Amino acid sequence: MSLFSPARLLVGLLALGAVVSCAACGSSGRPAATSPTATRPAASGAAEAAYSEATSQATWAVLPMGAASGPNEFWQLFLLSAGRQQWALDTPPDIATNGALELAGLSGTSIVAGVRPSLYLEFSPVSLTADAGEQWAAGPPAQRLADVPDALAATPGGGHLLALDEAGETSSTTSAGTTWTPLVTEHALAATAAGRGCGLTQLTAVAYSVAGTQLLAGDCGQPGVAGVFTHSAGGWRAAGPVLPAALANSRIQVLRLVTTSGQTTALLLAASGSHNDLVSAWLDANGTWTTSAPVSIGTASVRTTAFGASGSVAAVMSSGRGEVVTGPGAKWRQTPPVPAGRAVTIALPADGQVDALAAAGGVLAVWQLGDADEQWVKTQTVKVPIQYGSSS
Amino acid sequence: MPGMNSGLDVDDPTVVSAFKLALLHQGIAAVLLFALLALAWVAVREFRPRSASAGQRAQAVPPEGPARQVLRIGFGLLWILDGILQAQPGMAVGLPSQVIEPTAQNSPTWVQHLVNWAGTTWSYHPIQAAAAAVWIQVGIGVWLLLARNGRLSQLAASAAVGWGLVVWVFGESFGGIFAPGLSWLTGAPGAALCYCVAAALLLLPDRYWRSMQTGRVLLGCFGAFLIAMAVLQAWPGRGFWQGNMRGQPGPLTAMVQSMAAQSQPSGLADVVSWFANVVRAHGFAVNLIAVVALVGIGLVFVAGRPKIARVALIVLAVFGLADWVLVQDLGFLGGLGTDPNSMIPMLLLATSGYLALTPQPGAAEAVASAPAPAAPAPAPAAPGPAGSQHRPWSRRLRPVSLIAALASARLGTVMSVGAVGVVLLGAVPMAAAQASSAAAPILAQALDGSSAPLNSPAPGFTLTDQSGKRVSLASLRGKAVLLTFLDPVCVTDCPLIAQEFREAGLLLAGERSRVELVAVNVNPLYSRVSYLQAFDREEGLAGITDWRYLTGSQAQLQPVWKNYGIASETLPAGAMLGHSDAAFVIGPNGRMLEELDFTPGPGSAATVSSFATELANAANQALSQS
Repeated sequence: MSLFSPARLLVGLLALGAVVSCAACGSSGRPAATSPTATRPAASGAAEAAYSEATSQATWAVLPMGAASGPNEFWQLFLLSAGRQQWALDTPPDIATNGALELAGLSGTSIVAGVRPSLYLEFSPVSLTADAGEQWAAGPPAQRLADVPDALAATPGGGHLLALDEAGETSSTTSAGTTWTPLVTEHALAATAAGRGCGLTQLTAVAYSVAGTQLLAGDCGQPGVAGVFTHSAGGWRAAGPVLPAALANSRIQVLRLVTTSGQTTALLLAASGSHNDLVSAWLDANGTWTTSAPVSIGTASVRTTAFGASGSVAAVMSSGRGEVVTGPGAKWRQTPPVPAGRAVTIALPADGQVDALAAAGGVLAVWQLGDADEQWVKTQTVKVPIQYGSSS
Repeated sequence: MPGMNSGLDVDDPTVVSAFKLALLHQGIAAVLLFALLALAWVAVREFRPRSASAGQRAQAVPPEGPARQVLRIGFGLLWILDGILQAQPGMAVGLPSQVIEPTAQNSPTWVQHLVNWAGTTWSYHPIQAAAAAVWIQVGIGVWLLLARNGRLSQLAASAAVGWGLVVWVFGESFGGIFAPGLSWLTGAPGAALCYCVAAALLLLPDRYWRSMQTGRVLLGCFGAFLIAMAVLQAWPGRGFWQGNMRGQPGPLTAMVQSMAAQSQPSGLADVVSWFANVVRAHGFAVNLIAVVALVGIGLVFVAGRPKIARVALIVLAVFGLADWVLVQDLGFLGGLGTDPNSMIPMLLLATSGYLALTPQPGAAEAVASAPAPAAPAPAPAAPGPAGSQHRPWSRRLRPVSLIAALASARLGTVMSVGAVGVVLLGAVPMAAAQASSAAAPILAQALDGSSAPLNSPAPGFTLTDQSGKRVSLASLRGKAVLLTFLDPVCVTDCPLIAQEFREAGLLLAGERSRVELVAVNVNPLYSRVSYLQAFDREEGLAGITDWRYLTGSQAQLQPVWKNYGIASETLPAGAMLGHSDAAFVIGPNGRMLEELDFTPGPGSAATVSSFATELANAANQALSQS
């Protein structure tokens, strides 16, 4: 029998083909893990959930601590009461904060805190305090809050609540309510005249105005349009600020929409190609918007944000650069690069000082910006007793 | 408290003890079965000597060729060895996590899903599954050894093909053929596939074993396979040419190093470590030798010339045994080895192919003296085994026919029937266990130890349920109550416990009107009814009629927690409420019968299911006592 008979050649070729196939599939990398349950994606330019907000009586900051992710990552709430020099841990009790914390309804020493779902928890518990965290009470549980810092809003004191969930649906209730009433979905809002005018692509924030009006905000596909909406008798209408002509060709994303101490403040990202500008806009009690001049942040993105009691706004960029604007009519000013940490946010306490809070593992380092805005000075270290393993 | 990890250890004494006991019982049953068969055979032959025609027929069976004999005896012994390895104490708990899952981890997602299903099935019934693996494999091995030819031998081969495929797919993740890093040196395409091929060859009719063409095809295919493996070994970019890759060990080096690290005799560890260093330093040379050897042997086998095939077989034996020791580390040392890996089965297949290729002295005479296979046997005048294959089953199964068959059978044939019994001894309990969707209660016992029996009046309470109605324990009198304490915003344990209760409710479906599943809120802050409703929706408990989740003010809840010994603690820094995990069984007469003090652990489906079974059993027991 010949070694190279046609039949053997055929068998050999088939075997070779099989081997090549095996080699090809064997060379490929490990297959990707099964994708998690589909949820609404975070906004492309969305700020991280670390942030701080202030009233005239207290400043709160929210930062992730412990592990970088998973069941040993715990979001913490810190408080700096007016007149005090030291930040203190103020995380709501009896609830695992492996999902991010969302603050709302800031007024004096009152806040409402929502917890994003995590692990086996499939909804968002809500709790309220009127005395800066001395006592907490449970609010109505919300659907899965969206992964944006302003997914929960409340009127001062938390009497009425407004929520944006992962599915892009908004709903409202009262603090004593047991059920949430659907308001409008992202899809339905996009189909309204106001939504079409903006080219709404995604809802990113909910808020109550000083007058108690419900405000929804999102990213617009139409250049130069800021997507802020309010409800009136005729339905949903655009209620956003008119932006400087220089941003007419930029797509506008609403990163934050926060109401504190008599005004609503929006932080907007204007993207033109790969270039980004930051704009802050203030809505006063009369319903009039004032916008800041844009500040260029180049190709950087916004990592964390801060809102002071008097309308001041700050942002920390992915480059580590900080920008602060003290209120309507003021100009943005750059800070020195913020100190290192896994999550770093600026805080703007009521007395006008600028703090940087840097969290890493179980330690929060507090830095203050010197009078001349030249350098950060470390003023405090808070050791947080992270309960590793308690959620696993 | 939440956060405790209560996963079962591989050497968990409860499971190991139960596994050993099951093996002992089944072993005794197997010995008794063989003894009974032997006794029956002796007795029948004593009182009814086999007929002359049967004797003639027995003599007429042609002798088995050496090629088939090598496969049958070799793989019979391997099956027995594998069965014995399956009897390792840690196998019941350890096989899914230490054998099945690691084997699948580099395979595509669909393979992992398939294998995960098998692992879960095993985890649900570890004792029955592990014992089944032992007895099925020992049984198949003994069956192959004893049933030399005929229908029983073919049935044994069929069983070996079937079980071999099960092992190859679920135990070896298709021998890793869908995963990167496939190499003949490390065991591709899986030892169990060799077992299947060998068993499939045993299914061939006798006439094929008398033909040299069978040897040519078998050896030719084997040669083509070796060449294919050589191409894989030589394929650029797969890393086998490098002992070292950017400071990291290459794939073969890593494999040998991991083998050297296994628990084994120090002398063998030294040899394997030495070879790991050789591969690391001379990876290219080692791979070149492997590729050249595989191509060379493969080409010779494909050529099908007996004389040079013999030399190639010797080279393959040396090469394969060296690989078996130096790379595969004998296959079963360290950890939970389930077989001696692929080299011994490969060598048996090659040897069989070679023997089939070469005419054996005396074979021609044996063939000449045997009747032509196609020739029909003469029809007997009286009932007897010689004509049994032409009679309907109903007649062949008559007692008189069976006795006649037993009297005329060889002892080996009778014992091979015993081997079938051994296979069934393992398979039947496993199949019966599979009929239950719940996991074996032994898991719960192993995790927690025994439950605490009680016999005291259950402390009463009146609280508000998830629909806002007031419910007292006294109002549930006349029903068995399974009571637990849950935190509605818990992220770990409580949802698992709730699922156990839900599952227990399903298991108790027949007693639904006589059982109440009750949970009391243990979180002092999140005590609003809306949280209970949110929790019920989350856990799929909303709408289950016998599920009651109760809450109240802290003043109402506190005494209930105290009376049932439930401790809770507010932990700082964003940790959930710490609290005891416990369940109580309250009888229809209002007396507390049992406390199940459990922590569900990391939440494997089997763990959850086993607690559900324990809960359901406790409820049934409470009802039967009433």
